[in-house]
Amino acid sequence: MNRATKHLLFAAASLLAVSAVAGDLKIGIAEALTGGAAQYGVPIRNGFQLAADEINAKGGINGNKVVLVVEDEQGKKEEAINVFKKLIFQDKVLMIFGPTLSNSMFAAGPVANAAKVVAFGTSNTANGISEMGPYIFRNSVMESDVLPVTVRTAVKHYKIKKVAVIYGNDDAFTKSGYDVFKKVLEDQKIPVTTTETYVKGDVDFKAQLTKIKATNPDAIICSGLAEEAATLMVQARGLGLKAPFIGGNGFNSPKLFEVSKTAGEGTFVGSPWANTNPTPANQHFVAAYKQKYGADPNQFAAQAYDAMTIAAAALKSIKVTGNVATDREALHVALPKVSISGATGPFKFRQSVGKDGKPAGYDADQTPFIYVIRDGKFVLFTGK
Amino acid sequence: MEAFADFWATYSTLIFTVGIHALLALSLWLTLSCGLLSLANAAFMGIGAYTAALLTLHLHWPFPMVLAAGALAPAAVALVIGAPTLRLSGVYLAMATLAFGEVTRILVLNLDITGGPEGLNGIPLLTTWWHIVLILAAAGYALARLRRSRMGRAFEAIREDEVAARMMGIDVEGHKLAAFTLGAVLAGLAGALNAHSTFFISPREYGFENAVDILTMTILGGISSLIGPVLGATILTLLPELLRFLHAYRLAVNGLILIGVVLFLPTGLWDSRRLRHLLRAWRARREGQP
Repeated sequence: MNRATKHLLFAAASLLAVSAVAGDLKIGIAEALTGGAAQYGVPIRNGFQLAADEINAKGGINGNKVVLVVEDEQGKKEEAINVFKKLIFQDKVLMIFGPTLSNSMFAAGPVANAAKVVAFGTSNTANGISEMGPYIFRNSVMESDVLPVTVRTAVKHYKIKKVAVIYGNDDAFTKSGYDVFKKVLEDQKIPVTTTETYVKGDVDFKAQLTKIKATNPDAIICSGLAEEAATLMVQARGLGLKAPFIGGNGFNSPKLFEVSKTAGEGTFVGSPWANTNPTPANQHFVAAYKQKYGADPNQFAAQAYDAMTIAAAALKSIKVTGNVATDREALHVALPKVSISGATGPFKFRQSVGKDGKPAGYDADQTPFIYVIRDGKFVLFTGK
Repeated sequence: MEAFADFWATYSTLIFTVGIHALLALSLWLTLSCGLLSLANAAFMGIGAYTAALLTLHLHWPFPMVLAAGALAPAAVALVIGAPTLRLSGVYLAMATLAFGEVTRILVLNLDITGGPEGLNGIPLLTTWWHIVLILAAAGYALARLRRSRMGRAFEAIREDEVAARMMGIDVEGHKLAAFTLGAVLAGLAGALNAHSTFFISPREYGFENAVDILTMTILGGISSLIGPVLGATILTLLPELLRFLHAYRLAVNGLILIGVVLFLPTGLWDSRRLRHLLRAWRARREGQP
C-alpha cells in the first residue's frame, strides 16, 4: 500500500470515527480553515478544540462526550450554506458554531434558523446578525458596544477637542466600524476635521495623511485592519504627525507591531478580551492554549473557548433524549439563560429585536477592555 | 423517500449552484463563440443580481418580472459599453472588460443603495429548482438553435477570421455586440437566480476572481460544443464538495486534478472531434477482433 492510499484510508477512517456513538453530543464547527479568512478561522477552531478536550477530560457533560464535527467553509457564502446544510441534515448536530465572517453568517444563518438549529457566531461583529431570527446567537461583542467606551476613554485621557478620521471603504468590517465611529463622534459631540478613505492593499497613505496633518487634529480615528493600520502609523510619524491613534477591533492583532514597531505608541484600542486579564479563568485559558498549540492565543480563540463553555453550561442544564429535534429545541431554550465568567470576563446574552419588531436572536452583553499601546505592546489602560 | 428528502435538504443549494454556474459558463461560451475573450461576465452577473435583489427588497415585484429585469439591466449596460470596447480584440478586449468589471465593483462598493461593502442581506428565498431547470433548458435549446442559424454561422466565421467574414458581407460589429449582449442576458439571469437562493450578495462575489472562475469552467469543459461548458461548471462546482472527506488535502487534490486536465486535455474535457475519433477507434478495434 503506498503512502497516498494510506492517507486516503486514514481520512476515511477518521470520517467514520466522527459518526456518533449513542450518548455523544455532536456539535458542528463551520469555520474558514483555508483562504483569506483562515487567519481568524484557525485560532477559532483551536479555541473550540481546547475547550471540548478539557470538557471530555473531565468526563464530558452529564457523562456524555462532546464530539466536534469540523468543516471548512472557506469564508465563502455558498460554502457556508453547504456546510450548514451538511451539519444540520446529514451529521444531525445539536448546534453549529460559526461561520467565521459576518457575510457568511448572513447567507448561512437563515438556513439554521429555518431548520430550528442554533447557529452561534463567535466572530461576527456586523450589525443585523442576530436580527435574522431567534436561533441566531453570538458572543462576539459588536463594535457599537466597544467603540463608545474606547472613544470616551481616549478623549478624557488626551483632552481631545477635534479628530480626523481615516478608514478602509471597501471592506465590510472596516466600513461598518467607520459607521459606528461616525455615530459615536456625533453622540459625544466631537468635531471631525476631515474624513479620508483607502482601499484594502494600499501601501501609500501619505496623500491622506498630509491632508490630515494640515487640519491639525488632536487624535486620528482609524477603522482599519492591522496590516494597513501599521503602515499608516509608520507613515504618519514619518510626516511628523504626532497625534495619537484610536482604533477598532481590527487593531487587535500581533501583526500591528511587526510593521509599526513603536510608531503606534499611545494608541487606544478596545477589545472584548485582555490577554493579561488576571482572572483565574483567563490565566488558565492562556496557559492551556500555549501548551497545546505552542502559540499565544488571540481574541478569536478566547471567544471560541468561551462560546464552548457557554454551550456546555446550557447542555448541562438539559436532559438529552437522543431525539435530535427535541434536544436542539431544549438547547435553544436553555442557551439564553446561561451566564458564565470565562476568559473574556463575565458574560450573558441580550436578546435583540428583529426587523419585524419581534424578539429575535441574542447578542453578547459584555463590557470591553481598553488598551493603550506602550513600548510596542498592548497594556491594559487603568486610568493613568 | 426519506433518504431523498435528507439528500435534497443537504445538497439542494449545491445543485442550484451547479445550475447557476452552468448558465454562467454558457453565457461566456456565447461571447467566446464570436471570438470575444470577455472578463465582464462576472460584472454582468453582479448587475443582474443587484438589480433583481433591489427590486425584490424595495419594490416587491413578482419574481418573473424580477428575473426579466435582472436579465435586461446588464444587457442595457452591455449595449452601451459594447459599442466602444468591442472594437478591441484578443487580450486588449480582455483588459478593457476587466477594467469594466473593476469599475462596476467599485461603483457597487461606494453606492448607498447597494449597501456598500456590507452587501444586501435578507433577500427572500424565491428561486426553486424548476426555475433553474426551465431557464437552463431554455437557454440550452436557444443556444443550440442559434449555433445552426445564420447568426451562429456568422459568429463562427468572425471567430475564425474577422477579415474574411467582413469580406463576405457579415456585419462584424453588429454580430459582436449581439453576442456580447446575449451573454450579458444569461449572466444577469444567473445573478438574479443566485441572489434569490443564497439570502445575501456582496460586491466581492463579482470581482476579477469570479470572472476567472467562469472562464475556467468554460475552458475546462471545452468550447467546441454546448455540453463542454455545462460539464466544466458541474465538475468545478461538485469537485470541492465530493473531495470534502479529504479534509485539509481537498483543495490541493482539487488543484492537482485541474492541472492534470489542462496538461493532458488542452482542448477541454468535452472535445467532440476527439470523442468522435475515440469512438471510431473503439469501433474499429471491435470489428478487428470479433
